[in-house]
Amino acid sequence: MPLQKLLKTEWSGLLLVVILAIMLIGYLKPSFLTPFNIQILLAAISVNMVIALAQMLIVGIGQMNLSVGAIGGLVAISFAGLMDVFQLPIPLAVLVGLLIGLAAGLFNGVIIAFTGISAFIITLASLSVFKGINLGITEAQPFYGVAESVKSFGNSSLLGTLPLLIIPMLVCLVGVWVLLNRMRYGRHLLAVGASPTAASLVGISVRNIVIGTHALSGLLAAVAGMMVVARLQIGQPTIGDDWLILSFAAPVIGGAVLAGGHVNVIGTLLGVTTIAIITQALVLFEIDPFIVQIFLGLLILWAVGINRLRDLRLTLFSKPA
Amino acid sequence: MSSAQGSSTKSMGSDQSSIRKFFFSNEFGLLFLIVVFATIFALLTTGFTSRFNLYALGRNISIDVVIGFSMMVVIVTGGLNLSVGSIGVSAVMFGGWLLEGMGSNLPVAFIFLLLGGALLGAINGVMVVRTGVHSFIITLATMSVYFGLMIWLTQAEAFRNLPPEVATFGRTKIYGYLSPLLLISLGVAILLAILYRYTSLGRNMLAAGANPTAAELSGVNVKRTFILCHALSGLLAALAATMLTCRTGAAIPSMTGHIGQDWLLPAFLAPVLGGTLLSGGKVSVLGTFFGAVLVSLLTNGLLLLQVSEFWVQAVLGALLLSAVLLEKLRNVVLLQNRFI
Repeated sequence: MPLQKLLKTEWSGLLLVVILAIMLIGYLKPSFLTPFNIQILLAAISVNMVIALAQMLIVGIGQMNLSVGAIGGLVAISFAGLMDVFQLPIPLAVLVGLLIGLAAGLFNGVIIAFTGISAFIITLASLSVFKGINLGITEAQPFYGVAESVKSFGNSSLLGTLPLLIIPMLVCLVGVWVLLNRMRYGRHLLAVGASPTAASLVGISVRNIVIGTHALSGLLAAVAGMMVVARLQIGQPTIGDDWLILSFAAPVIGGAVLAGGHVNVIGTLLGVTTIAIITQALVLFEIDPFIVQIFLGLLILWAVGINRLRDLRLTLFSKPA
Repeated sequence: MSSAQGSSTKSMGSDQSSIRKFFFSNEFGLLFLIVVFATIFALLTTGFTSRFNLYALGRNISIDVVIGFSMMVVIVTGGLNLSVGSIGVSAVMFGGWLLEGMGSNLPVAFIFLLLGGALLGAINGVMVVRTGVHSFIITLATMSVYFGLMIWLTQAEAFRNLPPEVATFGRTKIYGYLSPLLLISLGVAILLAILYRYTSLGRNMLAAGANPTAAELSGVNVKRTFILCHALSGLLAALAATMLTCRTGAAIPSMTGHIGQDWLLPAFLAPVLGGTLLSGGKVSVLGTFFGAVLVSLLTNGLLLLQVSEFWVQAVLGALLLSAVLLEKLRNVVLLQNRFI
């Protein structure tokens, strides 16, 4: 029975692909499965998963947030700058970082909810604002004085394979899963994504959901930004520049419907894992790093194709019933 | 600037039945903002009205206008094209390879790079039409694929030994302050205005964008029309990148930013400020032109006001955000007063 249940989930196929890929690459390149390499892989997955969650929630309400990377970058340099320039204690710096992310998300959400202008346009403009503030503060120079304990948090691991960075990721993952699957707010969120009109007719405040979800997205982007600082050991102004494709690719590979109303946390995790494995494999096989970019794009197209096929299959199977 | 106003009177001539309507239109609002900001910059800075600055501003405007058009022609379908930057840089790198690697002459390389851009756009279009997936996700994927292919094939090396005519053309000054690039973008604007106003193809594009089902029922081949829109977008992106190459004098893989992201803001802002509906079916060539003028003008003026170049992006983003909000407010007020 559990197996049948597993096969019914929309991500079972993806899980199979991930397992087969791990086995194949592990067989061809034994160095792939060394503890050191697994640690690197898990660290990458941890950071990217939080980025993907930040976008996934917004996809859930049928919108998009182009400013996820810009928020993450702004928080990253603020976090590092507070420690470097003002010698702020770490908990305080983390708190300020989270607040900046929250404020940035609220900023997006409030404007979108109150004006009704498309989230695409608003977050495109706010991307430019956040990135501009980032460059204005840093003048494109990184902050080097990141606190030692933050650095060691980003580089240590349990048992030589589990990076500590996995902890904030798991907290975010479980939090978002509970929100979407066990809480009323999450149900409302998906209802708004599926049909804002229907949602507001049954008494859901679309405005509150939009604002709250964008605030959460900003918060997650902030967590991701600080995780990258811990991993890179410096507060670089370019953090977040390359999050755009990834943030959409993982949820879409994981079965999210871009029109809203349907997202999958486990699917997104598998999406992030697929991307990380492929990226890592390209490095191990010494394939031109430039090709990673092509693979990422093709992966999205492939996922979209698979999702289409699944929809088709579902409609075929549901017809006789 | 003067040329932009010139084109406004031109299209007003064909629409003189509703001068009153024009004063409440988006285009007039933009024109008003352009005049206000130009006046402010002229009064507050010393260099704004200098010949050199007007010339440089004109060159920037001309490129931003064509970038805006490359997005506008796809927004018509209710879709979008995130890959304009990637297509643009891929096309000029292809052109650069034709010139330096294959030794072909300028006109041939130019035509082939435009066709290359159109082909990449058409690939987007075919995939959007065949899969029925929203163009956002298709072009998000292809922006990565095209850029990755380009950077892999060129190994991130620039083409710096282009024929001298390229840079010379970019440096040419007509009457001391007018760039020929500006004439190209004006020409494109006029052609696009004719396309949407007077040709059945343009009308079909608008009809298919406004309501695909209705258009299909009235005998428009919606799929083919959408593919053509995407191909046109690719062609215009290639043209914009070519104009940028004329300005810089070299074809550089990073000229549109990482995976072409640097073009996204100008590409969307010009049509959106200009009143092109994101849901498709409505287009304003003149508005897009003014939108691009406004964006270039603000950038130029802020730099002259000695706003640090790092802050310009933030201020620009904030100004553009307020422009979108003001536009919304204006519409609400106009609707309440039954002006439109």
